[in-house]
Amino acid sequence: MAKTILFVDDSASVRQVMKTALAREGYEVILAEDGKDALSKLNGTKIHLIISDVNMPNMDGITFVKEAKKLSAYKFTPIVMLTTESNASKMAEGKAAGVKAWIVKPFQPPQLMAAVAQLVMA
Amino acid sequence: MKELNCYQNNYGAYPLFVSGVCGALGFIASTGFNVSGFILAACFVVLTIGLHFWSQNDYRMLLQTVEQSCADHFQQDYEQKIETLQQTQSEALVSFCANQVETERHHIETLLIDVLQRFDKLSNHFGEPNKSLATLKKTSPAKPTSVETHIADLAQLVDAFVGYVDAQEAISHESQSSGIVGLDLLCQQVLPIWSNQIEMAKEHTEESVANLAQRFDALSQRLDAAVIASQNTMGSHDSHSGIVELLENSQMELSSITKALSASLAEKGKMLHAIEALSAFTEQLSKMAAEVSNIANQTNLLALNAAIQSARAGDAGHGFSVVADEVRKLAYLSGDIGKKMTETVNSVNVAIDDTLTISHKFALQDKKTLDNAEHIIATVLMHFTHAAAGLTDSAEQLRNENNAINNEIADVFVNLQFQDRVSQILTLVCADLNKLEQHLNDFNNEENSSESPHSMNVEQWLDELTNTYTMKEQLSAHKNSNTSIDTNATTITFF
Repeated sequence: MAKTILFVDDSASVRQVMKTALAREGYEVILAEDGKDALSKLNGTKIHLIISDVNMPNMDGITFVKEAKKLSAYKFTPIVMLTTESNASKMAEGKAAGVKAWIVKPFQPPQLMAAVAQLVMA
Repeated sequence: MKELNCYQNNYGAYPLFVSGVCGALGFIASTGFNVSGFILAACFVVLTIGLHFWSQNDYRMLLQTVEQSCADHFQQDYEQKIETLQQTQSEALVSFCANQVETERHHIETLLIDVLQRFDKLSNHFGEPNKSLATLKKTSPAKPTSVETHIADLAQLVDAFVGYVDAQEAISHESQSSGIVGLDLLCQQVLPIWSNQIEMAKEHTEESVANLAQRFDALSQRLDAAVIASQNTMGSHDSHSGIVELLENSQMELSSITKALSASLAEKGKMLHAIEALSAFTEQLSKMAAEVSNIANQTNLLALNAAIQSARAGDAGHGFSVVADEVRKLAYLSGDIGKKMTETVNSVNVAIDDTLTISHKFALQDKKTLDNAEHIIATVLMHFTHAAAGLTDSAEQLRNENNAINNEIADVFVNLQFQDRVSQILTLVCADLNKLEQHLNDFNNEENSSESPHSMNVEQWLDELTNTYTMKEQLSAHKNSNTSIDTNATTITFF
């Protein structure tokens, strides 16, 4: 059965690129435009991995992670941040919020897919 | 008299008294406590006490008298000496000052001339913008060179120059002030436009890049589908429906057909041999028919002899002559049948010969046709095999090209991500433009309410801008230095 991944990014182009890359690997992809939109998608659907941007309108990535961790169904769902942000303090903030990995854009699809496979299987 | 006041202090003799006591104690200590020493010490103490009281009462008056007399004497003496010296010094000083004044006058005149010349140069430098400057420049060198004249000219020049500089400053300030006001208005008008333009460009780029990514994805999927279709068409190791398999099956089926035709041809040859064998039987039949005819002739002769003998026998041979006659009829019929048999066998022989001739002809034609068919089938199969090999190569090439294109598309996807980075940079630029616009609006509002001058903290502004950066490249661009972005490696940090 295909694993489901929720991808959150305010950039339509990055959403399209990630959807293509993940779909080619056989994952089912759910897309969200920002943290608020992503929270509305956490409605009981089984999600094996969440990949989120950091800087987004309405609700930023770190706040979204904190809110998602409050939901019992998604408390142990691994979350990865995929962002252009490489600030150490932001990374520390993400780690404290419960983020499993921090990936800086731009990414090479094969390397990203390897990391995704590792996290989904964990 | 002020100096004498110090003597009225009752504590003035204390040092003397203390020194006396100390001296007595020292003396006692140094003489090993002798009695004579004590007496002497007592004398010193008494003397000290006496001096103390004397100083209290009389010594002060004595000193005042002596001081007064001395002061009067020295004052008269000094007054005389000072008067003499004053006369001498005033004469020398007047003479010296007159010389110094003359020298300084010459020096000042030289300096003033030099200053006037410098003013002339200054006037020339400003292009004679002021009439008074120009007039003075023309008239001043011709005037008499007294210091007062020079100073008066110089004062006029300085006044004229100050007026000119003030006028220039006023003009400059006015122009500068109007320029800043214009810039503020321009910024207030143009900043929102720039911001809107950047936002619009960002949205268009975002939309186009997303569309581009979608198209690349569709392209990649269509290529994959084409490769899969090609593989299905050509057949693979785990597929039995490919063109190679079809060719192999066709070759086997065609081979079975040619084998069946060859077998049929062989059977036809056997049939021809059997027919040829029949021609041998027809010769025997001809011989047998000839023998039947011969027997019929002999039987006819025999029946004729029997008829002759029966005729000799008379009536007794009448019955025998009937038999002989019937035998002769049978011999005639047998001869006729033998003759017909010979004719029939000959007809059969001719028919068999014709059949054999035609069959041989058809057999040769069939063999030729079969050979030709085998040759054509082999040629066609060879062409198909070559075509299939070409298609296999094409399919392999298509698969390799598809892999290469997929890699290229992966690289394109990496490059498409830069749109996100550009979008974030433009967003920050827009935010800073909006901030500047808001700042200018606030300035204008404050300007209407107060006339105090406004200033901007540029360093603080730049620091705040720096804090909004999320990428190293933004910081590098801010510092006007180049930083290359490594797209070959993905930075992944696991926690």
